[in-house]
Amino acid sequence: MEQDMKQIIINLETPEIHSLEKTGEKDAIAKASKESVLLQIINGKAQLKYSGGDSNAFALIIDGKSLAYALDDDVKHIFLELAVGCASVICCRSSPKQKALVTRLVKSGNGKTTLAIGDGANDVGMLQEADIGVGISGVEGMQAVMSSDIAIAQFRYLERLLLVHGHWCYRRISTMVCYFFYKNITFGFTLFLYEAYTTFSATPAYNDWFLSLYNVFFSSLPVIALGVFDQDVSARYCLKFPLLYQEGVQNVLFSWRRILGWMFNGFYSAVIIFFLCKSSLEPQAFNHQGKTPGREILGGTMYTCIVWVVNLQMALAISYFTLIQHIVIWGSIIVWYLFITFYGELPAMISTGAYRVFVEALAPSLSYWVVTLFVVVSTLLPYFVYSAVQMRFFPMYHGMIQWLRYEGQCNDPEYCDMVRQRSIRPTTVGFTARLEAKRRSVRRSESI
Amino acid sequence: MPSNTASSSSAPAGSSKSKRPKYSKFTQQELPACKPILTPGWVILTFLVISVIFIPLGVVSLFASQDVVEIVDRYDNDCVPTPARTNKVAYIQGGSDKSCNRTLVVPKKMKQPIYVYYQLENFYQNHRRYVKSRSDSQLRSVKDENQIDACKPEDDVNGRPIVPCGLIAWSLFNDTYALSKNNQPLTVNKRGIAWKSDREHKFGKNVFPKNFQEGNITGGGRLDANKSLSEQEDLIVWMRTAALPTFRKLYGKIESDLEKGDTIHVTLLNNYNTYSFDGKKKLVLSTTSWLGGKNDFLGIAYLTVGGICFFLALVFTIMYLVKPRRLGDPTYLSWNRVPGGGR
Repeated sequence: MEQDMKQIIINLETPEIHSLEKTGEKDAIAKASKESVLLQIINGKAQLKYSGGDSNAFALIIDGKSLAYALDDDVKHIFLELAVGCASVICCRSSPKQKALVTRLVKSGNGKTTLAIGDGANDVGMLQEADIGVGISGVEGMQAVMSSDIAIAQFRYLERLLLVHGHWCYRRISTMVCYFFYKNITFGFTLFLYEAYTTFSATPAYNDWFLSLYNVFFSSLPVIALGVFDQDVSARYCLKFPLLYQEGVQNVLFSWRRILGWMFNGFYSAVIIFFLCKSSLEPQAFNHQGKTPGREILGGTMYTCIVWVVNLQMALAISYFTLIQHIVIWGSIIVWYLFITFYGELPAMISTGAYRVFVEALAPSLSYWVVTLFVVVSTLLPYFVYSAVQMRFFPMYHGMIQWLRYEGQCNDPEYCDMVRQRSIRPTTVGFTARLEAKRRSVRRSESI
Repeated sequence: MPSNTASSSSAPAGSSKSKRPKYSKFTQQELPACKPILTPGWVILTFLVISVIFIPLGVVSLFASQDVVEIVDRYDNDCVPTPARTNKVAYIQGGSDKSCNRTLVVPKKMKQPIYVYYQLENFYQNHRRYVKSRSDSQLRSVKDENQIDACKPEDDVNGRPIVPCGLIAWSLFNDTYALSKNNQPLTVNKRGIAWKSDREHKFGKNVFPKNFQEGNITGGGRLDANKSLSEQEDLIVWMRTAALPTFRKLYGKIESDLEKGDTIHVTLLNNYNTYSFDGKKKLVLSTTSWLGGKNDFLGIAYLTVGGICFFLALVFTIMYLVKPRRLGDPTYLSWNRVPGGGR
């Protein structure tokens, strides 16, 4: 709490209640206490309202005894409104049960994600109640740790937990889900488009085992590597530019626009792959010996293009390449070629149509390689153009930090400060509000 | 369990009481990494490289396709005599003489080998019921002769198994073409038209046709019962089902050159019934290039994409020069676009 914050204090230290306590009538005390608390809450709300335009920061302080009345069913919603309008809320001397109840009130009343942090056995209720419970292991024993979702060793590690790991996890999960939809739509939609040419009789365009193993061998490891290892900016920059965390709060990486954008990417990729392969390969001969392509050859070529496209799309979408990413992305493509070679060597009873299709039909024909190159590049071009335009002219916040890092301005503290400040939006809660209040009071004192 | 958050505090390194987890680059996610960024240089370079590769490839492909000489002749309508044209299905199913004479003129010199194809349109060889109607094990070995379950309805006749069974074999294409040039017959080599793996591994050398086309409805051609399946190359070519409803299949090769202006006479037997489903039949003579048959699409598409990339490279160069980027202009960040923020 800063010194120049306005304080709203709610307690039961009024003279009427003192005099009632002397009489000892429980009912009268309870009734009077409740009325007093309600009155103080309403006064507090009025204070908040009258200074609304000024964006002064308020702090609410309430003790355990008053909290018991403030959490009554008919009062708690007003209490919540008052609390949400304040920059800080301090509930002192509250029991473990009250801690849990306050957490539940905020969670259900606000609909936002709550995080609770605590180190003692009295925090267990609160940790369990919140969406994310962070337990601190240490002096007060391990009860908090055992009932928490995440355990840390010191309170100050919370900063790193949220800003670095929270940001990375949000980004990893949202990108992974979007990409997963994309790659399956690309694959499945080509099957659907092929059906239009088989009178919708459900003939698969690819061999059965190709269909089954798509999500196992040829496109799964890059997604897993993305979900586990991807970083947009390193930990140092996450801490240096804390506003990056707002990307998660504002849900910019998993908005409907982004989800539908990735799905659309899948659709048009499938359309381009299918129609380019079909127009290039049929009906004329496709190799020098005059042989014409059948279902196995068209299917094999399209499947190769799909494997290349989804893996290269991954390479275009991420901006963090360790050895692991290289191995899984290029490895998946190589595994496809190895698979089609060795599967083709299995007796024709098992490999049916794919028997020797690669070594005999596909690999020796130059048109296979020429068509693959063409289809893959053409499919990825629209995304590449979009990505180049977006990165240069409309970068998202992490894009801006990547530019900073690239241009070497991260070591210039004034420049970084400028970027940070210009990105903040005015708020009435939290750190920024208190900073604004301090600045305003400084300015006022200077002008006087 | 404690998570692996690194501490930058001063726990004495090497102290035996320290609970600090062992540092490794992998667990601390500080692996050496390459962090590429789409700078203007990379973008323009990529577009230029693509156009430099694609435009010549497109030109080469287009030339290859233009070099291919192709003669296509649709004969299914013209080969039905005029009085029978009102009911073509009845004609084709009847017993009259189906031979037909066609004349083809060679537009450009064609170097050998010249491939002879038959092209069918609106014929769905890729229909699921049709594709499944075969027995691969029966085709390969004699002892699996009775594995005919998948072949219904063309699986047996009066209890005796049909070899080769199934709808694909039953609907074997049976138009024949006899070509001649200047009254000299042109030999059409019908060996080596099927894929080697089919001939040697999928169709057995000691499997002979049995009870073939003996049912009530004749679906297509007959087979010589004295030739083993691995020598029946027409059947092998036919049984490699096509991907799309318009397809060509190799009939044979001509191993002599044809000069420009040569007149080829084709005496064909118009046996195959495509009239019930409005299909088309065409005879195709074509040379090949290193890329295959005649298809301008690939060459033109390569040129188009190469041209687009070159154009994009120019556009991006101009954009990067004209509009210098102002860093840190955050007015379009999502939480600043909506006044007062909010989700």
